[in-house]
Amino acid sequence: MAVNRPLREYGLKSERVLWRGKGPSSFENEVEQLEQRLGLTTLEKAVAWAQTKSMWPDTFGLACCAIEMMAIVSSRYDIARFGMEAFRASPRQADLLIVSGRVAHKMAAPLRQIYDQMLEPKWVIAMGACASSGGMFNNYTTLQGVDKIVAVDVYVPGCPPRPEALMEGIIRLHERVLAGIPPAYEVRGVAS
Amino acid sequence: MAIAERRPTAIYEGTRIPSPIPTVLRVPDDLRETGDILQVNFGPNHPSTHGVLRLIVDLNGEDVVGLEAVIGYLHTGFEKNMEQKTWWKAITYPERIDYVAFQNNEYVFVAAIEKLLGLEIPPKAVWMRTLLNELNRLHSHLVWLGTSGLELGAISMFWYCFRERDQILDLFELVTGYRMHTRYFQAGGLAEDVPRGFYPECRKFVEWMPKAIDDYDNLLRRNEIWLERTKGIGLLSAEDAIALGQSGPVLRASGVDWDLRKAQPYLAYGEVDFDVPVYPHGDVYDRYRVHIDEMRQSVRIVAQCLDVVEGMEGEPWIVDDRKIVLPPREELHTSMESLIHHFKIVTEGYRVPEGEVYVAIEAPRGEMGCYVVSDGGPRPWRVKFRGTSFVALEATATCTSNALVADLIAIVGSLDTVMGEVDR
Amino acid sequence: MSWGHVPGYVSEKEAHGEQTVVVEPERLVEAALHLRDEEGFSFLSDITATDYLGWGQKGVAGYIGTATGRDLNRPASQGFQVLPELKPKRFSMSYHLLALRPGAPRLRLQVWVEDGEPVPSVVEVWPTADWHEREAWDMMGIRIEGHPNLARILMDDDWEGHPLRKDYPIGGEPVRFSGEE
Repeated sequence: MAVNRPLREYGLKSERVLWRGKGPSSFENEVEQLEQRLGLTTLEKAVAWAQTKSMWPDTFGLACCAIEMMAIVSSRYDIARFGMEAFRASPRQADLLIVSGRVAHKMAAPLRQIYDQMLEPKWVIAMGACASSGGMFNNYTTLQGVDKIVAVDVYVPGCPPRPEALMEGIIRLHERVLAGIPPAYEVRGVAS
Repeated sequence: MAIAERRPTAIYEGTRIPSPIPTVLRVPDDLRETGDILQVNFGPNHPSTHGVLRLIVDLNGEDVVGLEAVIGYLHTGFEKNMEQKTWWKAITYPERIDYVAFQNNEYVFVAAIEKLLGLEIPPKAVWMRTLLNELNRLHSHLVWLGTSGLELGAISMFWYCFRERDQILDLFELVTGYRMHTRYFQAGGLAEDVPRGFYPECRKFVEWMPKAIDDYDNLLRRNEIWLERTKGIGLLSAEDAIALGQSGPVLRASGVDWDLRKAQPYLAYGEVDFDVPVYPHGDVYDRYRVHIDEMRQSVRIVAQCLDVVEGMEGEPWIVDDRKIVLPPREELHTSMESLIHHFKIVTEGYRVPEGEVYVAIEAPRGEMGCYVVSDGGPRPWRVKFRGTSFVALEATATCTSNALVADLIAIVGSLDTVMGEVDR
Repeated sequence: MSWGHVPGYVSEKEAHGEQTVVVEPERLVEAALHLRDEEGFSFLSDITATDYLGWGQKGVAGYIGTATGRDLNRPASQGFQVLPELKPKRFSMSYHLLALRPGAPRLRLQVWVEDGEPVPSVVEVWPTADWHEREAWDMMGIRIEGHPNLARILMDDDWEGHPLRKDYPIGGEPVRFSGEE
């Protein structure tokens, strides 16, 4: 496996496919700088590659976004090509927590419990507007962003995000992991 | 006792609603002392795909002897949020209540506004709304079938149903611009005209869909495992169903011939030809049969609506009342009154006369109702949604008498609950 | 059709094609039994509690919601405050009933209570009222007398306050915009 080439040369095509001739975006530049600074060893890169290729999500579908999350499992959007179709019911067996849907204050405690039960390394994707920031529900009962209780790696906007948008979020997460960026709980705590 | 013996052959006599609390199955006292009761928490996060429902189940071996449902884990405060928004902006909220049958929810709220305003909707909007509501019924039943099959072990149903579901969502995207939560209905009609490319695509879908439904039915209807897992499970007699406020497929599977589309025709349902499936046994298998037959009837209705709407090319799709509906943008350049109307509607919002109404429609899950109180101002005073799933969950305790743990999943699945409706 | 024969009858109203019967809270269960057994309203669709605190404080100038524009029956109404009809008490509990007959006749049974006054439970009449009444207690704070299990249903068990009341704030948090300090 050739590991001396920057990430841009293998894999990071997420924006270039849509716009031929476009140079690397700010995301790709940042990831590349980080990758150079971190200087992963071959073993670490191999481990990161393995983590990316079978990152099993936990079934944490709450509301409308859960229906679109089920849609990426379906055959048109096929998340199985990333090795992620095995949605584990037990958090002990899951790597990725896709919080899809609005989180009520009553649900915040079970969410934190599930997050704590997951084994490290673990990643969190806040899917949809409600999980990222409370969405259109700025009221007494909705948690204004799931990053208040768990550390989030990727926020996917939309209400609900299209399956392709969630796929983009997942691919960006994979690229971060491949670049050696540590999961969010090591970098930052929860937002205040 | 062998499984074959404990399976009842006919619907029960009398009532099985637990007493004194109708929604809680209590462990009998003698069993509590002598038996070995294990209390298990089917917590809010669980493998079955129903969303955040918590069931506290008391088990005696494999028998379910006690059941209590705890809800509220998805309570989002819709009703209070809607009181803060103007009527126009509040229409985005109801869709997310029952997030699988979103356009039905949108329609019930818009219908309540129109009832208070006393508007008459142009026929093109009426027929298009009927078409979209029926497509949404298909969508909802497909999601139900896919996820119920997945839970009971018929895993391939999930992929087949979601393939058709994606086709329906493509149709929604063609018409409204978005897959789910389309926000296409306005008070007075539709937000935009129907694009011409929709008709051939919808026709292709209508020709393909009956064969797909037959495929699903052939996979499950005489499948030994499916029959074993659904026949005789989750019995609910007609009197108990009515007493518990059940409606929709659950009520029709218990033998009660009641469908709001026939009893109180709204939209264009009085003018289309369709049948209402009713089955007598009141078990999970009959609810499955009702869903499949309803899907076939929905395709019939969509085909009829499509013929009518296609002939209405060029007709208005929204009421012409500038006090409620935004004027077309080109007019704003030339007409002062249009500019003022636009300004008033966008900043203050249109005013809905004082009053209270309750509008109920036949959503895919049953009777979905919206109670609106207006004080004559630009914002709703009180909006309450009668969520079908909220009432359907009240029947879990009654349906689960004499059930095994494995049947519990089948029963809760067959009641077709969407937690957004339960908790609002 | 007049509903004067319903036990505890106070008044009735017909608007927008719907009929509303107001009864006294003390005789609610009698009225419910009468309507279920003699009139055939065996299906309870919904129970809604409404809080009218602050009703009529803000007048509505004019009446531009009609299809034709100004309200011709009140030619001088443009610019004057039109106050909505005042309500007898603070809370109303509306029971939406349905008879399972062709034509789907519906009726709204209403009781009016003040803050702190209890409403008798209709769980024995229509068992489906169980959760609806719990929601009325949880969200509006209307105490239901005779309910077998009056506990919070949508909010946390130890939540204080009744969220849907008009004097309960919407909550949430102020939105911070990027670029602002």
